[in-house]
Amino acid sequence: MKDKFKSSKWQEVINWAQKRSLFMLHYCTGCGAIELPPTMTSRYDMSRFGIGPAATPRQADILLITGYLSTKTLRRVIYTYEQMQDPKFVMGFGSCTINGGMYWDSYNTIKQLDKYIPVDLYIAGCMPRPEAILEGFMELKNKIETGNADGYLRYKEDYDFYKENQEKVLGEVKRRQ
Amino acid sequence: MKNMNGGNTMDKSKMTEMFFGPNHPGVPGNYGINYYYEGDTVVSAEPNAGHLHRGFEKLMEEREWIKNTPLVCRICVMEPDINEMVYAMGYEAIGEIEVPKRAQYIRSIILELARIQAHIFSIGGNSAAIGLYSAMQIGVLARDYILDIFEEITGGRVYHIYIRPGGVRHDIEDETFDKILDLLDDLENNRMPEFQKLIFENPTAQKRWKGTAVLKQEDVLRLGVTGPALRATGLEHDVRRLMPYGAYDEVDFVIPTGQDADAWTRLQLKRNEIFQSINIIRQLINNMPDGPVSVKLGNALKYKIPEGEAYVKVESSRGEYGYYMVSDGGLKPYRVHVRGTSTPLGLYGVEALLPGTRIEDVPVWAHSLGICPPEFDR
Amino acid sequence: MRNESEVIELIKNKLNPLDVKKLRTQNLAVTLKKDELISGLNYLKAHSYIHLATISCVDWIDDNEFELVYHLFSYEDKINISVKTRIDRKESKFVTIKNIWAVAQYYERDIHDFFGVEFEGNDDMDELILENWNDIPPMRKDFNTREYVDEKYEWREYHG
Repeated sequence: MKDKFKSSKWQEVINWAQKRSLFMLHYCTGCGAIELPPTMTSRYDMSRFGIGPAATPRQADILLITGYLSTKTLRRVIYTYEQMQDPKFVMGFGSCTINGGMYWDSYNTIKQLDKYIPVDLYIAGCMPRPEAILEGFMELKNKIETGNADGYLRYKEDYDFYKENQEKVLGEVKRRQ
Repeated sequence: MKNMNGGNTMDKSKMTEMFFGPNHPGVPGNYGINYYYEGDTVVSAEPNAGHLHRGFEKLMEEREWIKNTPLVCRICVMEPDINEMVYAMGYEAIGEIEVPKRAQYIRSIILELARIQAHIFSIGGNSAAIGLYSAMQIGVLARDYILDIFEEITGGRVYHIYIRPGGVRHDIEDETFDKILDLLDDLENNRMPEFQKLIFENPTAQKRWKGTAVLKQEDVLRLGVTGPALRATGLEHDVRRLMPYGAYDEVDFVIPTGQDADAWTRLQLKRNEIFQSINIIRQLINNMPDGPVSVKLGNALKYKIPEGEAYVKVESSRGEYGYYMVSDGGLKPYRVHVRGTSTPLGLYGVEALLPGTRIEDVPVWAHSLGICPPEFDR
Repeated sequence: MRNESEVIELIKNKLNPLDVKKLRTQNLAVTLKKDELISGLNYLKAHSYIHLATISCVDWIDDNEFELVYHLFSYEDKINISVKTRIDRKESKFVTIKNIWAVAQYYERDIHDFFGVEFEGNDDMDELILENWNDIPPMRKDFNTREYVDEKYEWREYHG
């Protein structure tokens, strides 16, 4: 399925247009969200790259997980991720998504984000500077152009693996649609 | 569903449930309010908290005294320096350690700079809640220049880890003090007049803010609320005068108060406090004494204080912020309890004081009272 | 406007404390018996101590007791008083003070979530901050958080 998408000429045009207009969901999940307003406003302006905020998950392309996730938020993030339309991309922000970070021995936060939803790109730091966030967006655009940002396809193929990990941590997760 | 201040009916067919939930652009942080409304008015509400819980109090019991300093500043994200200050004050109160004078002056300068940048961010957030987005753009830009000064002094933009038990980490040079004074001149002469014209003399914005989110004096006192919400009812209570800490008993400043306790008065109080803070920093820099900046306490991994307890508090930009610390004479703290500023308003205030407002004023209510969710979720 | 020694005299004469002491300037600590706590708080509230900052709970596992601490403050005297009492650890029950300060119902719900203490008279004891928690209350001293994490979550493997 992946090869058929990569080699079609029509897909190249779609990738070219898509990487220039990305909408980011405005959901601040953790303490890394304090460096988002400087990135969005006039000093480190990010709308010159075509990236802007969106209010609802149905209208967004990128989901930014800014920092740690408690189990209560993880349930809402799974509902949000499944309500977004294809193609969609997930970026992990900060060192808490990689291996637990500062709260490695806390009973309420998750340690690896990769087991619950598929991640396309990680940005290191605690917390990352606005220049690092913009560098991450540039890298994501390169990945979209070459067709490597396929987290949403992996979620459909390996659905049993993700579902088993989610239910181990959360109990039962009701799928609403 | 509770019928707190009485709706018109308890008939469920006339009420609608709404999740002003965690995923919303109008809410200040990852926090939700579930409410029932009838027509256009809120009838009953309850808070939906706990999305940001990391278990700080348990983590602090597992680490030695010095290892808690990088952990503590992550409790309140808007103003991280007050957490470091209160932790150091609690340690010094139980251990009866006296901090040198130059360190107290430098600590007060850092706290006042943190207060200015938190007030500017809050004015921007209040304006974004009613739709005035250009105030957010210029506000965050003015705040960024203050973060540049923090980066030059301490090395980090947001989390500084500069104030620790015994004093501060290292000294500040004279050129940095000159840069701070230049920045304060720029704030007072260029940035604040821009805010004045755009936000405070704007007739549409005034109409939205005047008369919304009114809190009367008896409600504020019985809930235990402090800060601008209390001073907007006419009382002049401030922790910097009631229980002085740092170098605040050696400077001259006025505490601004207001009369009608609505969102417009609280916003004007924040602007007046910015001018008072600029005045305080200038006095502190001009009278700075010489001397050491820290007390030598020995090997950092073996800090120890005798048995005891203390409840210490400071004045953050939103009110009283306190810690209750208990020590049993060992290498790790026995119990630390964090009392955030917005604990009474974010939890009980939603149930008791929100019914009666219109739906479009609920974000204005949440932003203007300074609800910061990581403080009560910890 | 009273100073610390006058307040200590007042407390010794009118209430029946087990212990009163001055910790440092503007900071006092009073220990009362379990059954006399409500009347003590009512008395202090009528004599200008109207501000309840918070309610804390400390787990003394060696003595087999919980200690509840109520932090009061007066804007006229400018003094902090910490009013303490001890309850049993196995059968941890106490009365609510929501008739004196209505905001205390949420502080008591928080203590119930983390320590397991029950408060008679306060009906609303749903989970406030944790969700679907099925182990012992996490702030007790016999709950080991690192063992819990090793059991429930997995660590990332690094190569090279």
